[in-house]
Amino acid sequence: MPSLSNSPVIFVRNLTKTYRVPERESGLGASLKSMVRRSYQDVKAVQEISFSIQAGEMVGFIGPNGAGKTTTLKMLAGILYPSEGAAQVLGHIPWKRETAYLRRISIVLGNKSQMLWDIPPLDTFGVLGEIYSLPAAEYRNTLDELVDLLGMEEVLKKPVRNLSLGERMKCELVAGLLHRPAVLFLDEPTLGLDISIQRRVRDFLCQYNQRYGVTVLLTSHYMADVMALCPRVILIHHGKLLYDGRLDGLAQQLAPFKLVRLTLNHGISTTNALDLPPNAEIIEQENSHLTLRVDREAAPSAAAYLLDKLAVTDLTIEDPPIEAVMDQVYQEGNV
Amino acid sequence: MRYLRLIDRFIKVSFVEEVSYRANFWINLLHSLLNLITGVLGVYVIFGQIDTLRGWSYAETLSVLGVYLTIQALRNLFIGPSLDALAGMDGEVWSGNLDFTLLRPMSIQFLASFRRWRLFALFDLLLGLGVLVYAAISMDQALSISNIAMFLLTLLFGAGILYAILLAFSALVFWSPGVMFMWIFDGVFQLARYPLGLYPGWVRLALTWIIPVGVITTIPAQALRGGLSMERLAFSLVMAVILILCASIFFRAALRRYASASS
Repeated sequence: MPSLSNSPVIFVRNLTKTYRVPERESGLGASLKSMVRRSYQDVKAVQEISFSIQAGEMVGFIGPNGAGKTTTLKMLAGILYPSEGAAQVLGHIPWKRETAYLRRISIVLGNKSQMLWDIPPLDTFGVLGEIYSLPAAEYRNTLDELVDLLGMEEVLKKPVRNLSLGERMKCELVAGLLHRPAVLFLDEPTLGLDISIQRRVRDFLCQYNQRYGVTVLLTSHYMADVMALCPRVILIHHGKLLYDGRLDGLAQQLAPFKLVRLTLNHGISTTNALDLPPNAEIIEQENSHLTLRVDREAAPSAAAYLLDKLAVTDLTIEDPPIEAVMDQVYQEGNV
Repeated sequence: MRYLRLIDRFIKVSFVEEVSYRANFWINLLHSLLNLITGVLGVYVIFGQIDTLRGWSYAETLSVLGVYLTIQALRNLFIGPSLDALAGMDGEVWSGNLDFTLLRPMSIQFLASFRRWRLFALFDLLLGLGVLVYAAISMDQALSISNIAMFLLTLLFGAGILYAILLAFSALVFWSPGVMFMWIFDGVFQLARYPLGLYPGWVRLALTWIIPVGVITTIPAQALRGGLSMERLAFSLVMAVILILCASIFFRAALRRYASASS
């Protein structure tokens, strides 16, 4: 289905998913009781989130465990029905699971495998080629290209159960991309991988996106993934959308504080209290180095105060590292 | 055509999967033979004492067992393993791997019914057919072409009925993942080893109308001995069509329930 160039590929409006979860106390008595009468609790996994994504964008979908990322991804892929709200991907309503839609999307889940366990990956790929009715030549070309990009020639003929996690993840990516989807949903594609394979996967996704303009929505707990791949992030927490915008704007908007790093021209003794600006908090202290946390607005005056009161040889003001910002948001649950 | 090619592919892949566990071959062989021996022995012991049982002769009763073994073999060839991959222990509903299956651009019921093959079951199929041939030869009357045709038709309908029941039982798993509903069915299906006529009236009714496993084996056996009316043939066809339709609708409704195991 052709979509207008300026209309979004993914369009989400007030999407909501409520799970009904059986609830019971621990112990034999409670479990017997629950066989007769079960009580349920409504869990709001996703609450009225809205966003849209343009063709070719790579968007990072971030948030703590249980934030509702995977649920949203699965609704957009068509695996789950939403409780309320609307979504369109490539002009289709995902959960209708129309064949024309399913041929153009793919999902790769870091903690689930679509490979057949006891046979070499090549056989699984063959089955997928048949399921998506790919012409033989096209199948061959795509496979060769993906295998080349991922550098995994040697694993094609080993049984999947004998592959390492990293090798298997490469297979999952190939399996997900054989039919050349226009939209790719990636749920923690680097989960549990070592640093160099993580990088390899990132490089691959970056190249693939540039080459084919595939639209990617990616979740990951590794901020390195998000920083390397996604200029734009969507942050959700407790099922609610907290932030949607550029990654580098996240810290500015989310962290109400800045870090002031100081180097003094003398060592810091623990006994003598330093003369610090009001509301400044020491978060790190080593020899003559000191890191303070100050309110964002108070940063300039705090710097002036410090330069005035202390023998400073070096002073920098910076945004806190993205991990620290995320940690704070995750713990406090608001922006 | 695409679906036939896919079945071909599934068979090949399943073969490769199977040969990677070679020890299973011998276990399967033993299991098949034990299954055959206990079945035949049961019938043999009874008919060592009497000539007919409620109108069923030794050969006729054996033919019911033959149908039972043949249909079980067909089940174990692909319907059973395929549905097991969906709803069995470690099945996709339980593990959440149905996520991938749901996103295939094709009939999910087709995938759920045809994607796993257990080629060992071909041996069971031979044994079942062997019992059938032996029973047919031992019968008093000669086999006519029309009897054989009726037999093959009713066997096909019987397999259809079994498929519908299995599909419906598998779909139940969407309401309670991890509950092995199929085990209940297996217990009941054991009753289909013997002619429906041997059972008391209420059991006969239950095995015809509630869980129609009796129909699956008894009617083809009746067709083979030549005592099958056109009404029964039609009954068996209509039942197969209705059950397959209902089971498919039920299966589709069940898929809608799938909540996907948590990430």
